[in-house]
Amino acid sequence: MEEKEIYERLNNVFRDIFDDDSIVVKPETTSNDIEDWDSLEHINLIVAVEQEFGMKFNMNEVTSMKNVGEMVKIILDRVK
Amino acid sequence: MNLISFIFAMFCILTILVYFVTPKKIRWIVLLISSLFFLFYKNFNVVTILQALTIFLSAYIFARLIEKYKDTHKSKIFLVISILLILLVLMYFKYSNLFLITIDHICNILKIDYDLKLVSRNSLIGLSYYSLIMIGYLTDVYRGSVKAEKNIFKCALFMAYFPILNSGPFIKFENMKDTLYEGHKFSYKRMCNGLIRIAWGAFKILVISQRCGYFVNTVWGDLAKFNGVYSIIAALLFPVELYANFSGSIDIIMGVSEIIGIGLPENFDSPFFSKTMTEFWRRWHITLGAWLRDYIFYPIQKSSIIQKLNKFCKSKFGKKVGKKIPLFISMFIMWLCIGIWHGGEYHYIIGSGILQFVIIFLEDTLTPISNKINDKLGINRETFGYKLYQVTRTFLLFSFTMIFFRATGVAEAIEFIKSMFVSNPWVLFDNESLYTAGLDMLDFRILNISLIVLFVIDYLKTKFDVREKLFSQNIVFRWTVIFVLLFSIIIFGCYGVGYNAADFIYRGF
Repeated sequence: MEEKEIYERLNNVFRDIFDDDSIVVKPETTSNDIEDWDSLEHINLIVAVEQEFGMKFNMNEVTSMKNVGEMVKIILDRVK
Repeated sequence: MNLISFIFAMFCILTILVYFVTPKKIRWIVLLISSLFFLFYKNFNVVTILQALTIFLSAYIFARLIEKYKDTHKSKIFLVISILLILLVLMYFKYSNLFLITIDHICNILKIDYDLKLVSRNSLIGLSYYSLIMIGYLTDVYRGSVKAEKNIFKCALFMAYFPILNSGPFIKFENMKDTLYEGHKFSYKRMCNGLIRIAWGAFKILVISQRCGYFVNTVWGDLAKFNGVYSIIAALLFPVELYANFSGSIDIIMGVSEIIGIGLPENFDSPFFSKTMTEFWRRWHITLGAWLRDYIFYPIQKSSIIQKLNKFCKSKFGKKVGKKIPLFISMFIMWLCIGIWHGGEYHYIIGSGILQFVIIFLEDTLTPISNKINDKLGINRETFGYKLYQVTRTFLLFSFTMIFFRATGVAEAIEFIKSMFVSNPWVLFDNESLYTAGLDMLDFRILNISLIVLFVIDYLKTKFDVREKLFSQNIVFRWTVIFVLLFSIIIFGCYGVGYNAADFIYRGF
């Protein structure tokens, strides 16, 4: 899967979870950039991403991801 | 060992001196010896040794086994056994009475005769902190985010590092594993920074918290005499007392740790400026919240049961409402844990657990409605006035929940709330009455001024690093501030007879 495709699909997940169609995720996007992205929504986002890509994050990754770029890196690694 | 005591000051000075004259490679051993001394200080006996050893060995041995059998079924079994062992010790020493009282209640309901005998168990200082820290460590090893520590003495230092034993913060092995064992160089700047922080902590405890405590304790001690205005003031002062006390003790131990060179995670971020209760708990006892999030909330939310429920609720109630139901179930469990952690009695579970959950739940469900009403009425939510209202509302709600926390039982909390409705507003206006509840006029004035200082400093802390700013000022200004701080602790600190100058509220947990 190409990185570009991952970002496109991620975008849809983000828009769906945060109910905001103006979201465009970039590698450097963090929870500070999206208003509703707090620790409660974080886990919903993680589960939605897992479902979208048919993969699983481990708990270590869930708590240590710093930005969307890191998330994409893990997804790329898993779905190869 | 009390943080505000001659013995603790001597202990720290000695530890720091010996630390910096010892060869770098073995400096951490100095910390280990000091920490063990602190842990067993005046409480060295078979029970406490067994208590510490059980938790320590469960963590040390099982962490290594978990790592050895990584990615096999066995590692999960080892994780469960080790956590159960630690919880067993924690519950035996901290929650026996909760268990007994619950049995008593159930027997009462079923009308069975049960002779309730409460027990008192000799638990070591910091038990609630390091048992959770070690559970976190084991889970991290299981998740693969840290390697299990092979050196048994290094592992012991991680568990018993003395600054965190009094009242936290919760630490994680991945953040501590390098800094804890590294031989830090002495730094003059760090020492100044640390000392300022210690002094600021001492100011909060001695000048503010103890003084509030005078009033609060007097009112709570005689509700028949002190009610109405008195109880309302006491209800408002208690959160301040708690905050000054808890964050003050954190300041002291963080200052000590800073001088050594070991940074600890921040536990408070000016919480009384929070606009909602959710935000409040992100800024109050931060490391406990982070611990619960990583080891309780996320695993529950990610579990297949909650995920199935999530799907079911979304299809049944629509996306927006549907996703809230499982969320609130996980949150309820988490708040229950917070309540239980604060103390094995019902009033703690209600005050610091269930009521917090109820408020957060209401906040979440009512905010969209109140926003709509505000929009209709044309109220601008971005104004200073509106934010002030939100901050005040959060403080008042927190003060209310803390009535249950402060009480010795649910019945007393209810009695206190009733006493607040007695009408005696004249207390505020005649010159004498207010000053009969533990604080005279001078004390009230000192308290008011020191509260303003606390308020201003906490506000400035949200804008910039106050200590950094202070050190960038010219020498006259800098030292004036430092001297004023030191002298106000000496002059205005409460060292009076009849109470313990270092009666740390959070130490009991």
